Amino acid sequence: MAVTFTLNGQQRRYSGDPRTSLMDALRCDFRLTGTKDVCGEGFCGACLVHIDGVPKVSCLLPIGAVEGADVTTIEGVGDLGTLNPVQQAFEDFDVVQCGMCFPGMVMTLSHFLQDNPRPSRDEVKSALVGNICRCTGYERIIDAVMSLHNSAEGRK
Amino acid sequence: MNDLKETVVMNLPRRDARDKLQGRTKYTVDVGGLEMLHAALRRADVASAKIRHIDVRAALAMPGVHAIATAADAPGLHGLGIADHPIFAGETVRYHGEPIAAVAADTLTQARAAAAAIVVEYDDLPAVLTMADALAPDAALVHPDWRNYEILFEGGARGGNVAWQATVERGDTDAAFAREDVTIVENVYQVGRQNHVPFEPRAVTAAFEDGRYHIHTSTQAPWTVKHVTARVLGVPDSAVHVTVPAVGGGFGLKFDCSLEPYAAILARKTGRTVSQVNSRKEEMMTCLCRENADIRIRSAVTKDGDIVGREATVLMDCGAYGGEQVFLTTMTAHTLGGNYKLGSVRLCTKAVYTNTPPNGAFRACNGVYNTFALERHTDEICAAIGMDPVAFRRRNVVGDGDIGATGQVFRGNVLEPMLDQLTAKYPVERRSGTLPDGRLYGRATTVGTWFIFVGPSAATVNLNADGSATLVTAGVEIGSGTMMQSLPQIVAANLGIHPDKVIVKTADTDAAGRDLGVGGGRTTVSIGAASEAACAQVRDKLLGVVAELLQTSADKLVLSGGRVEIQGRPGSGTTIEKIVQQAETSIGPLSGSGAFTAPGERSMPGCAAGHFIDAIDIPVFAVHDCEVAVDPVTGHVEILSYRLVQDVGLALNPRAIHGQIQGGVVQGIGYALTEEITINSDGAFDQTGFETYRMPLAGDVLPIEFDLYEGAPSIGPLGTKGAGEVPILNVAAAIGCAVSNATGKSVNALPMTPPRVAALIDGKAPAPEMGHIDTVWVKNLVRS
Amino acid sequence: MDSANTDALFLRPTDIKAALVAMDGGAVPVAGGTWVMRASLRGDSNDQAFVSLSQIDALHEVAEGEDFLRIGALVTHDHLADFARNLPELGALTQAAGMSANPAIRRTATIGGNICARGFTAADLVPALLALNATVEVHSSSRQDTTPIAEYLQARTQRRAAGLLTTISVPRKRGHSAHARALLRKAGEYPIANISAFIDMDANNTIKTVRIAVGAVEAMPKRWHSLEKALLGQPFSADAADMARDLLDDFTPRDSVDAPDWYRLRVLPGLVRQAFASITDQSREDA
Repeated sequence: MAVTFTLNGQQRRYSGDPRTSLMDALRCDFRLTGTKDVCGEGFCGACLVHIDGVPKVSCLLPIGAVEGADVTTIEGVGDLGTLNPVQQAFEDFDVVQCGMCFPGMVMTLSHFLQDNPRPSRDEVKSALVGNICRCTGYERIIDAVMSLHNSAEGRK
Repeated sequence: MNDLKETVVMNLPRRDARDKLQGRTKYTVDVGGLEMLHAALRRADVASAKIRHIDVRAALAMPGVHAIATAADAPGLHGLGIADHPIFAGETVRYHGEPIAAVAADTLTQARAAAAAIVVEYDDLPAVLTMADALAPDAALVHPDWRNYEILFEGGARGGNVAWQATVERGDTDAAFAREDVTIVENVYQVGRQNHVPFEPRAVTAAFEDGRYHIHTSTQAPWTVKHVTARVLGVPDSAVHVTVPAVGGGFGLKFDCSLEPYAAILARKTGRTVSQVNSRKEEMMTCLCRENADIRIRSAVTKDGDIVGREATVLMDCGAYGGEQVFLTTMTAHTLGGNYKLGSVRLCTKAVYTNTPPNGAFRACNGVYNTFALERHTDEICAAIGMDPVAFRRRNVVGDGDIGATGQVFRGNVLEPMLDQLTAKYPVERRSGTLPDGRLYGRATTVGTWFIFVGPSAATVNLNADGSATLVTAGVEIGSGTMMQSLPQIVAANLGIHPDKVIVKTADTDAAGRDLGVGGGRTTVSIGAASEAACAQVRDKLLGVVAELLQTSADKLVLSGGRVEIQGRPGSGTTIEKIVQQAETSIGPLSGSGAFTAPGERSMPGCAAGHFIDAIDIPVFAVHDCEVAVDPVTGHVEILSYRLVQDVGLALNPRAIHGQIQGGVVQGIGYALTEEITINSDGAFDQTGFETYRMPLAGDVLPIEFDLYEGAPSIGPLGTKGAGEVPILNVAAAIGCAVSNATGKSVNALPMTPPRVAALIDGKAPAPEMGHIDTVWVKNLVRS
Repeated sequence: MDSANTDALFLRPTDIKAALVAMDGGAVPVAGGTWVMRASLRGDSNDQAFVSLSQIDALHEVAEGEDFLRIGALVTHDHLADFARNLPELGALTQAAGMSANPAIRRTATIGGNICARGFTAADLVPALLALNATVEVHSSSRQDTTPIAEYLQARTQRRAAGLLTTISVPRKRGHSAHARALLRKAGEYPIANISAFIDMDANNTIKTVRIAVGAVEAMPKRWHSLEKALLGQPFSADAADMARDLLDDFTPRDSVDAPDWYRLRVLPGLVRQAFASITDQSREDA
């Protein structure tokens, strides 16, 4: 029996090897290449997707485990014309460089801000330790996130 | 010109941000589809061996396999300076991970399975894994045939395991060291490798179309890929066409040709498009790292603080093939030999062959560790003669009219006012102490000299009928934003239009002229200058058409806001669109081409031997200051503050420069503190992934405070200098000096991991063993 | 690949019995998957079928009893940290679960996986469970055993352990516990050494019960018996870190790529101090 799940709002079936990582299936079979294959070990966060609304690393998740689940990838965040608030802040603050880590950053932070609408800088950093960026040195990403919640800036 | 500066400077946002944030950007690793074959390499798992036998028959018969390539398919040798590097090990394996064969199959899994099934039989040879081993009198030679290699650049001394030697000799150091009024300070330093870890690994797709190779690749240097691929395949350069999409990080790693020739051969053999991507483990284990280096430096300094003599020997591990290190031996003259006025100087830099993975170029190559060594040595000198480190630096930094190591004359006082700017803003209250929580406090201020790697670039600018302009160059967007920000800003300012109206064509060697590549801080300068020259042609044509139309002279016309006006008479002219249309009926479409190359700064004759660049065309200076807290319990170094002043010439896009400074310093923090590569007895890297190769994470960084120093002399367009490379230059130096001040112990090695710092505090970290660099400078020279 | 084949590669039993049948057939049990999915990168074979345990509801449950906290093997670090937050005596478990690896891994990796991952030397939950005297329930086709975790770990090392670990029971005893870990960066990585400590004091702040477990230093986490002995009966204010410094001979530390052997020992006294400081804070909050 194939694996059946919801992918960015649509019912999809996968009939290959169910032990395949969700990341490989997304990239190679569904051709959703916004989910990035970087470390393959759960450290970098570039392959993060939302499973039933929760960010998980898709490189360590066999696709068989998402049977019946609701999977959202970066391509399913917002729509073509509209950036979500995190994406918009990143664009406004000119923080993107090579861009490979940003889909994962967006997946982490979009979820994090739902649960923590007024985070401190340190809380944002703690939330981001599983998202490695080799270009930016992080702080300007955090500036962008903090701008979404100016009133919390004073907290430390 | 001043008007131009006013219109060109802006915080232009990046046009590629939106697609990158939405996961829509197609990097090379994202190109694919059912029509493609997938390639995998069979790599050597020994460091040094003769290949007795390779048998690909069984692998070729495996399911899905279309072709296998080996050394027989790529006879050519390539290299920088010396052609010593085959793309496949044919008879000899020289490093763990060296490619032996490449397989193309329907799926990656099939390709990998077949690669593993190729039978390779070895006869082991002795391996030299360290530079000390390689320079031992009876060392096995990594290249026994070194004398027979084609020399691509004359002048370097070579011999045995020394791939290349560059020397500087200016003045009489023997006399300086023999003076009775000098203090002699001698130190040794040792640094490890640094892995770039671009998030997009080296990757390529290749096709064989209409008798030519089309290579679509993740590179910083499309023209290098074109040339090297052609050379090793034994075809004319014109048979190779290179295009480059968005590149997911480079940092210098992709300044060289990498996987492209393998995919090209397989594309020709199969008639199919072939995709080849390094797995993360391959990428980690065969990274063309920032090289490990061993350094001995000594100076003769008067009690007033004049450096009357300096001698140094720098060994750079090039790994199994010369590669970039051959070229980079040049840089010691300008980095270790930089910063300070020297009465006399002798420098010897050797690229040393070992049976380890080849090294390459990495952001401020050579400069990062030579600046570490130089600045640590400078602090040791200050301690020895009892002089304040900032006062010593102020006294000795090169200024207007001073000469550098190779005798080139510097213009303008830059480092001194930069130092003053930093120390005025952040006065030094103390350099060491103990914090209330028991941690050890240290502060240090360091200076650094770097340069812009100029050289050939070409640009074409087409002014289109809709008032937009198209810029065609071989530039590549590797993430730094140059192609998205500074280049359209320069073109727009020169044509009087908004940067949003400048279309930037990404690299296509069939469309754009030759270019050295994106690296060395050169894009804004070299491609920018070529673009300016192209714009000048367009502007001349444009103004000529208008002058005729308005019956006025061209020098009375100004271009601005998408219009041409008679100076001082707004509304008198017309729109660019109209002029372009007009021009099509008179002289044709408006287009211009421009070029740039190194103007060639002069050194003092006879000072430098074996150097690819005797004098630097655009020096770049930096002053960095940091405060650290060292935990004596764990050896952790926490950076409390990090401040810098950077010489940028003109800041075209200050916000984008901020991004480069924050990112570059953090990469330097990783190099200084946690990123470590060790090579095991098999000649392989121990750190094969992100669990053990420790890059800075969000919790490990801090906001970098910075000031941009503008106005230093530069031949760059509008007085610019590249700003992306230099932020990493003195990070290890500043942190190393601060940790020394905090602990009261000499930091002589990088990275300063918690175990290494703990050992330092415990007095169990002696200076590195450096018996392979003779204390008598001249005895280190290879003569050939 | 046709469906019949793929079905056999990824089994999704809904009860423990069916899972055991699958395991007897050679399938690898998969909990969060964060260790199993890295097998090929470690050079381990990964051609066995998977038996996913995620459909077995019982394994996801946390039950708070008067004397025990019962934790299903598939409870994630994240869930555990959240749940145990209100149980001060289980501070070591809350801290270990809340600090390990990184947020995304904590949302996926399970307590059962943390105990059972073969070759994983840097588990954070295991020393916490040792210090808290946890027991594990193991189901096999013929029986159901309850074993102290130390014994279970021993059996696994010697590859004597069969069956499926289903539940972890942590006794809720009077006292305080804490977890401390040594990293080379601030956060977001596996520890190169960690410590869990459980302490119960009498009214005079004399240590009545003490259990200290050390992880990541040797291949398997273990109790630090000599330090426990030295601390028993001492006032809580005694300098445990100083005592620890004299008792490092209990360990034969690992020398590996992530850290040299001597360094793992060097940081242990500091970890003891951290854990004791955390316990001090907790007891202050009680008062």
